[in-house]
Amino acid sequence: MFTPELLLNAVVAGLMLGSFYAAVALGLSITFGQLDIVNIAHPTFVILGSFVAYIINENFGLDPVLIGVLFMPIFYFIGTTLYRVYYASFERTGQESLSGLAFFFGLMFIIEVVLILTFGVDYRLVEADYIGQTLHLGPLDFPYRMLVPAIAACIVTGAVVLYMNKTFMGKAILAVSQDRLALQLMGANPLQVKRIALGIAIATAALAGALLIIIQPVEPSVGRMYIGRIFAIVVLGGMGSISGTFLAAILIGVVESIISTFYGPSWAPAVGFGILLLTLAIRPQGIFGRA
Amino acid sequence: MASSITVTNVEAGYGSVRVLHGVTMSVNSGETVVLLGSNGNGKSTLIKCITGLATPGEGDIVLDVDGEKTSLIGKTPEEIVDLGIAMVPEGRRLFPSLTVEENLHLGAYRMAAREKLAENLDFVYETFPRLMERRNQLAGSMSGGEQQMVAVARAMMSDPTILLVDEPSVGLAPILVSRMIATIKELKEKKNLTVLMAEQNFNQAIKIADRGYIIVHGEIEFEGKTADDLANNDMIKQYYLGT
Repeated sequence: MFTPELLLNAVVAGLMLGSFYAAVALGLSITFGQLDIVNIAHPTFVILGSFVAYIINENFGLDPVLIGVLFMPIFYFIGTTLYRVYYASFERTGQESLSGLAFFFGLMFIIEVVLILTFGVDYRLVEADYIGQTLHLGPLDFPYRMLVPAIAACIVTGAVVLYMNKTFMGKAILAVSQDRLALQLMGANPLQVKRIALGIAIATAALAGALLIIIQPVEPSVGRMYIGRIFAIVVLGGMGSISGTFLAAILIGVVESIISTFYGPSWAPAVGFGILLLTLAIRPQGIFGRA
Repeated sequence: MASSITVTNVEAGYGSVRVLHGVTMSVNSGETVVLLGSNGNGKSTLIKCITGLATPGEGDIVLDVDGEKTSLIGKTPEEIVDLGIAMVPEGRRLFPSLTVEENLHLGAYRMAAREKLAENLDFVYETFPRLMERRNQLAGSMSGGEQQMVAVARAMMSDPTILLVDEPSVGLAPILVSRMIATIKELKEKKNLTVLMAEQNFNQAIKIADRGYIIVHGEIEFEGKTADDLANNDMIKQYYLGT
């Protein structure tokens, strides 16, 4: 049954959901969009972030968002190490396209299996005072379990956009896949640039994982639900544009939310991919892509 | 600051193909030296050896800054840029999906250039007012002449003492080539640069040359000690004028 109030709430819920999607897609937007690295394991790193949040929250009662932030440096280090391995094994010899993909696919399974062997396939969740409470503003409802992740997601996306546009390293990250040799002539080391970029990408997964487990209980293979969706978001946003990724995530979030409110949740994923297909047909560079 | 480059007996190539056979040449402080020769004779390879993009098998390349000598052999391109050597590569090599201004900012990546970013940005916009107008446009969407301006301006953003220019005339209309050559001279005078320019367009290159070399099949075939010397020798006539 359609009421303006219901629509308004669906849009608000979609904005919050979309912001969260942006946090998950952010890292992939950097690796896939800027570095041409098809990091299909990215959602699995997000799940790893969820389990870290779960373990620390369970044992020490720390706030999940805080845990996510605290673990960003460690995930950054994992990312830079990952690039060293990836470069030495594949990129240096020019085998990154297929072997590299297989590498990340394998990595995805290894992380997933280790999580399953350690924690089993049960759903895990975190506890915080605000989860389960709702902020009411007039006719609008803001459940804190959506609102808190949405705000955190906006902050981390904003921070990454600022970093990319305002720092020399950020601009070098934007440039590295366009012309690596020219970047060297600017005095930048492309390997260092890519290492830092992958570090940042994986670091965002620590926070995105913590946000995910606030929103919903998580088991090790939940990440797979997100692979298609976040690749769709990155392509839709225009590869290589982080603000584009954010807008695309918001779009998908709002559309999914409206569809699942009025037509049922099972239609939601189909609509996301429908938008993607339509975009690829009409505007292959993505809705918000440059040139 | 006095900066010069001395290349001694450099042999270089790609894989088993030798391109340079014992090249010896120099660029003294404050000079504009041109490296003439048609395609495939090794001009670009020599410039790549100086910038660290190619590694000589034999010989030495020495940078002299105010009497302090540094061998460039074995240094990475990044380290060489840090020594104050900037290159405008053949084919411009811009970052096409970044804006003009983002390209220019990246030019100032090296530490010594970052502090002078604002000053150098004003300078290049003054030299190329067109780039000021187009600063938010994507570099890839600009015309060839404008892209060449961005490439030169980007190199100037690194605040170099030595500017290497590889084939600035490629893909440009003759009128634009003249302008570009004149601009390089202007930049050189304003910033006291030492310039090495590889070019196949003899008539244009000679306009700003203090002296030059003709490179044929990877060897220096002729050294013109002055611009006149270069312009009036038989070899030039043979190569460029067909007499």
